[in-house]
Amino acid sequence: MSKIFFYNLLDNEKILYEDLLNRLNKKNMFYYPYCYTKKYSDIFINILVSLLADDEIVLLDSDFSKEELGNISINKEKLSIRKKVEYSPLKSVQDLIFRIKNASKWRTTLFSSGTTGLPKKITHNYFSITKEVKISKEKINNTWGFAYNPTHIAGLQVFFQALLNYNSIINLFQLSRKNIFKLIKKYQITNISATPTFYRQLLPPEDIFPNVERITFGGEKYDKKISKETKIIFPKAKILNVYALTETGTIFASKGDNFTLKDKYKDLIKVVNNELLIHKDLLGEFDLLELKNSSWYHTSDIVEIIKKNPLEFKFKYRKSEMINVGGYKVSPYEVEEVIRRHPKVQNVVVYGKSNSVMGNLIYCDIELKDKKITEKDVRLFLINKLQRFKIPRVINFVDNISTARTGKVKRL
Amino acid sequence: MKKKLLKIINGVLENNNRKKIEDINDNISLRNDVGFDSLDLAEFTVCIEKEFGIDIFENSLVDTIKEVVKKIKG
Repeated sequence: MSKIFFYNLLDNEKILYEDLLNRLNKKNMFYYPYCYTKKYSDIFINILVSLLADDEIVLLDSDFSKEELGNISINKEKLSIRKKVEYSPLKSVQDLIFRIKNASKWRTTLFSSGTTGLPKKITHNYFSITKEVKISKEKINNTWGFAYNPTHIAGLQVFFQALLNYNSIINLFQLSRKNIFKLIKKYQITNISATPTFYRQLLPPEDIFPNVERITFGGEKYDKKISKETKIIFPKAKILNVYALTETGTIFASKGDNFTLKDKYKDLIKVVNNELLIHKDLLGEFDLLELKNSSWYHTSDIVEIIKKNPLEFKFKYRKSEMINVGGYKVSPYEVEEVIRRHPKVQNVVVYGKSNSVMGNLIYCDIELKDKKITEKDVRLFLINKLQRFKIPRVINFVDNISTARTGKVKRL
Repeated sequence: MKKKLLKIINGVLENNNRKKIEDINDNISLRNDVGFDSLDLAEFTVCIEKEFGIDIFENSLVDTIKEVVKKIKG
């Protein structure tokens, strides 16, 4: 029972499974159905209480600005709602796991960058979030390095994978490389799931950690070079590359960049005009307008077919204009819309450029009404309006933004 | 070269509304001492490339000023 449930150096907080049960067994339990907090442990406990109550929870990124919250109709009143819940006391971790697995009415809503500029609301149930979670007796001694945002689907999937196997979760997200290495060693972490950008910050290899048994890459285009160098740091680790969308959760995994379709998905996934299409049965619930009366969701991911039966393919590029910054998808329209509100900005175009640290970085060209503002002024204007990764890191002031024939701004 | 590097580092800090640093030396770590995270480093590398024509993070990550200088000098 003295096993760690969650450790976070950022909050200097260590919660044992025993403490977790005590917290969940307190009298007058409640949770925040609109969960908006920086503290990871509060997010996890809120999720667990909502599961025990078999009720709904909306997970909001803790760095959403007031304005971004407003765009998805979240106001102060909603954020302050506390929902009282009642359930019989938990007897053990096994009891907790058993009850979580039976939360048939539980729903969680997440937000993903939408192509229109407004975040897209996606709702999952217990089954759709955990469909790729693997539970076995051999996994009971695993310790997870947590390297995703806990309000995003990848973070939730790691959370469930660890919890349902009664594993310890050690936070590595947003830590310095020095501390990441320190914790991997101290807590003998065995599994890490993260973006190529996360692994990139661990390079060049300086030390080796044979305790790590599995490394998973996700969220961004697979990078063979990073994978090869990461293997030097974790020589005993098996490497896995996964493909997941907020709409679906994880659906493919492979040892390299070729994916093979599992038999259970063979009627639910197809490739049309080189684009990967996913059947609605594999999706969480979201605005059905997206499907345009079809049963198939167009992922905008363009693939190259390697073999037809069973389907084997690799990802080539994304058709959509979303920019992937270290695993975070940014809609250029959303950023442009906010910059245009600056009183001295005449016109703006936002675009991504490849970057050796983050995969891609946000750039923008601005045409001014007069020349009296600096790059810093624009950045300060954006700081409280947009999440940090959406703010352009390179701003060029130009005399004239070229427009395409249709009158649309030309994205370079 | 170190003066130019200090100017670039402070440019990144200033653009992000953070306090400038006064001096740098070989052993300063961009992540641990300057406090750059991956987004800051991504911006830093663009500025370095603009000034010196080299993508210092192209093949592997560098962290100390000494490593940055070494990369720039090739």
